[in-house]
Amino acid sequence: MTTRLTGGRVFDPANGIKGEIRDIYVSDGRIVQAPSEGRADTTYDLGGHVVMGGGIDLHSHLSGGKVNLARLLMAEDHCDHVHHRHEHLRSGSGHCTPSIFTTGYAYAEMGYTAAFEPAMVPGNARTNHLEMADLPVIDKGAYLMLGNDEYLLQALARGEEQERINDYIAWIMQATLALGIKTVNPGGISAFKFNTRHLGIDEPGPYHGVTPRRVIYALARAVYELGVPHPLHTHCNNLGVPGNIETTIKTIEAAEGYPIHLTHAQFHSYGTEGKRHFSSAAAQLADVVNKTPNVTIDVGQVMFGRTVTASGDTMAQYRNHGFASPDKWMLFDIECDGGCGLVPFHYKEKAFVNALQWAIGLELFLLVEDPWRVFLTTDHPNGAPFGTYPTLIRLLMDRDFRNECLQGLHPAARKATILGQLTREYTLEEIAIMTRAAPAKILGLADRGQLGIGAAADITVYKEHGDRQQMFAKPAYVFKDGTEVARNGTLHASPKSTTHIVRPAYDAAIEKRVKTFFDDHLTIGFNHFPLSQGELADAGVLVHAHDCRPRRRT
Amino acid sequence: MPAVTCPFCGIFCGDLAFENGRVDTSSCAKAETGFARPVTVTEHSVGGRKVPLAEAVDAAAAILRAARQPLFTGLGTDLLGLQALLGLADSTGGVLDRWQSSPQLANLGVQQRVGCWIGTFAEVSNRADQILIVGRDPAPFFPRLFERLVHNPTPLYRKNAPQVTYLGPSELRPADRAHGGTDLAADITVPANQLYEALLVLAAEAEGRKLPESVGTSLPLAQLMGLAQRFKDGAYGSIIWDVGAFPPVQAELMVETILRIVRGINLTTRCSSLPLGATDNAMGVMQAALWQAGWPMRIGFGEGFPRHDAYLYNAERMLSGGDADALVWVAALSAAPPPATSVPTIAVVAPDTILATPAAVEFRVGIPGVDHAGTVVRADGVIAVPLGKTRDSGLPSTATIVNLINERLGGEP
Repeated sequence: MTTRLTGGRVFDPANGIKGEIRDIYVSDGRIVQAPSEGRADTTYDLGGHVVMGGGIDLHSHLSGGKVNLARLLMAEDHCDHVHHRHEHLRSGSGHCTPSIFTTGYAYAEMGYTAAFEPAMVPGNARTNHLEMADLPVIDKGAYLMLGNDEYLLQALARGEEQERINDYIAWIMQATLALGIKTVNPGGISAFKFNTRHLGIDEPGPYHGVTPRRVIYALARAVYELGVPHPLHTHCNNLGVPGNIETTIKTIEAAEGYPIHLTHAQFHSYGTEGKRHFSSAAAQLADVVNKTPNVTIDVGQVMFGRTVTASGDTMAQYRNHGFASPDKWMLFDIECDGGCGLVPFHYKEKAFVNALQWAIGLELFLLVEDPWRVFLTTDHPNGAPFGTYPTLIRLLMDRDFRNECLQGLHPAARKATILGQLTREYTLEEIAIMTRAAPAKILGLADRGQLGIGAAADITVYKEHGDRQQMFAKPAYVFKDGTEVARNGTLHASPKSTTHIVRPAYDAAIEKRVKTFFDDHLTIGFNHFPLSQGELADAGVLVHAHDCRPRRRT
Repeated sequence: MPAVTCPFCGIFCGDLAFENGRVDTSSCAKAETGFARPVTVTEHSVGGRKVPLAEAVDAAAAILRAARQPLFTGLGTDLLGLQALLGLADSTGGVLDRWQSSPQLANLGVQQRVGCWIGTFAEVSNRADQILIVGRDPAPFFPRLFERLVHNPTPLYRKNAPQVTYLGPSELRPADRAHGGTDLAADITVPANQLYEALLVLAAEAEGRKLPESVGTSLPLAQLMGLAQRFKDGAYGSIIWDVGAFPPVQAELMVETILRIVRGINLTTRCSSLPLGATDNAMGVMQAALWQAGWPMRIGFGEGFPRHDAYLYNAERMLSGGDADALVWVAALSAAPPPATSVPTIAVVAPDTILATPAAVEFRVGIPGVDHAGTVVRADGVIAVPLGKTRDSGLPSTATIVNLINERLGGEP
């Protein structure tokens, strides 16, 4: 069965297609060459439509223990937002922290066909994968949170060779079916358990004496050398602290030229200027990013309204618990590996700090020149729920709209931002890069985020509309692996989807060392820690393992 | 040597050697009894008459099709079974709650309203230098708790054995005094009906507030203040409780007060807490229900979407109040029979469960961790562990049965 999409304006940046009117043919879930005489079983006439690959969100807290706790905490959200069961679609609840079926449906209805959970703590990998097995329609995967795990900190403290560090990381990635490595407040979550309330990037941690800089370097290098496609996904130290720009720039330096991805960079781009000692340092970070080709960022845009912050960064979450709105919050210390903190937030445009956070995020988007190196995220749900993406896209593409919104801000915040002077408007091509081609490239998803021959037929079709928010909110058609799953923003099919992982190679000798560590200290057995193929098969998990090609810097 | 995980309490010890078909139960009475449970009945039945599986599935589907508000309860099974049950409850517009979940709801209610601060097992066993156990001796319910969480011979961080304090009624007789290597502080004996007040004293001390003058002339104030001071002086404290020990009307207040103590201690040093929750994979119910429906339990799907109501959807009240017209009773981990009721009952039960009267439909399923592999969530709520299979009974899993019923009703598995 062959499907033809004809007459649409195609944006496929990975293949150099910039809004040309072209036909796309789909067969057996893949994009194929035009059959002889262009014959197709089904034809979609897409005159007046824009065609892109399916959207890919590379940073969205969509599953796992931390998100489940946020759901528990956000009872009000789950009363206010209910989702009816509909034929074969499951019911659900929640907007900020939607239940898992709703998450998959809502992403797909918005034209996204993949999203990645960025903070899987090792001990929670098993439930996270069982939960992701229930996530329908969209592809998924998870980054494993390391950098506060006892084994690694000990190894660094005793000065173990990089090779052995690499072995451990490869082993634990395989054991937990990870797609990438994330570090969250490297060293800081561990330090917080020893009652250290602040850890600078060059400060030795209280117990191991290892600096965050050392952790960042070891992890960035390991990820590179193991050939894991996605660079170290980094949540810097000092999240949310005025003046943290210094830490953020030092974090880039700490990678010593190895590829590094800074996540929710907005929360890490703060200066201390002005009488409130809180200012935008977006220009400073953008300048460094523009000059440093090994760096990518996602923004973590703040959008006004209620949400919940769900983070592995217990040190930061404890620091911010006084801002909880409503006033309730949770913290977890987890298995000598990590932690999590949940703090509900209400971002208000009339609050100086929140208003400036909003502006800082947009400044970053507009000042980083290369759309291949800046990604559209709200750090769902931390800056805002992912449902705000269409509005965010309009803010990037429509300067008048942006300036109109700017007028609603706290007056001091309005003065403190250069946003009003920024004339840049994102083009459709740039949106296609930052939400499709670039995330696929940086995650190593070779056959996604593009529409070349042989690619997976994850395709989104938007009806052209001057109001980009409307255009991006309800795509005319969404295809997942070649099957039409949504029309005019309404889902009508819910296929099972794939979990993307990597399986980097390691020297088996590491298993013995890790086993001793597990036997001596941990409360789950070494043999029970790794997820087994049998478990995955029982849970109906479909896995796509991507290649890792070990590499060395010359 | 392969090791298997014991599914018979919320600790889910995974260090039981399994060789030649025998499980070394490490002298745990619960594991001993559990792994020795017989396979008494393997046949499914309808109205007490043994039938092939397909016929039982048809009968169950017919009951659910006729029901306007089926109640899904018990819920003692593995995660895959729970995931499937949530789907069936959704598609049939049912109500889903653990049986006798009120104590667990006290913990969850505080988490929803105020929050929590929890440290998982490995944090307690490697870090805690001060441990307070509130309410009752957990040993009869979690037999190896002390061995696994307190008596860690190779802790990562603490130099000395932790100092353990019991705060509870006078009949407290900790079974683990026999264990060596623990610095047991004197018990602080407080009658059950004054336990809440004693916690208030600790909270005031932790928060650095003055005690109201009316408080506790009959309480051992000096001991309580000494305890608070030990936590303040320590590096990392852990407060452990089994909410089932708390007087029901005060349970939420007590849990909330423990959270105040923990937050107060954290003003100057570190502390976390560990609610032990219930057995039978109670935390697995919470996790799966939260991710599938957005609520932890007591969920009604009758309106076409998940609605949580801690009073309305209480399983015991649903049955006694006549609000359920079918009962789906699931108890694969324990041998608990369904409660007596006049509504048609579909029992999904273990092979050794004895029913006083035959249920309308009975499915005999395997015990997760004995008859088939599976996954359960530990009492600390964060870590899921895999269960093995220790005998070949050929019994199906809960998930298999529930998915068959769901398919028979025209739903997707």
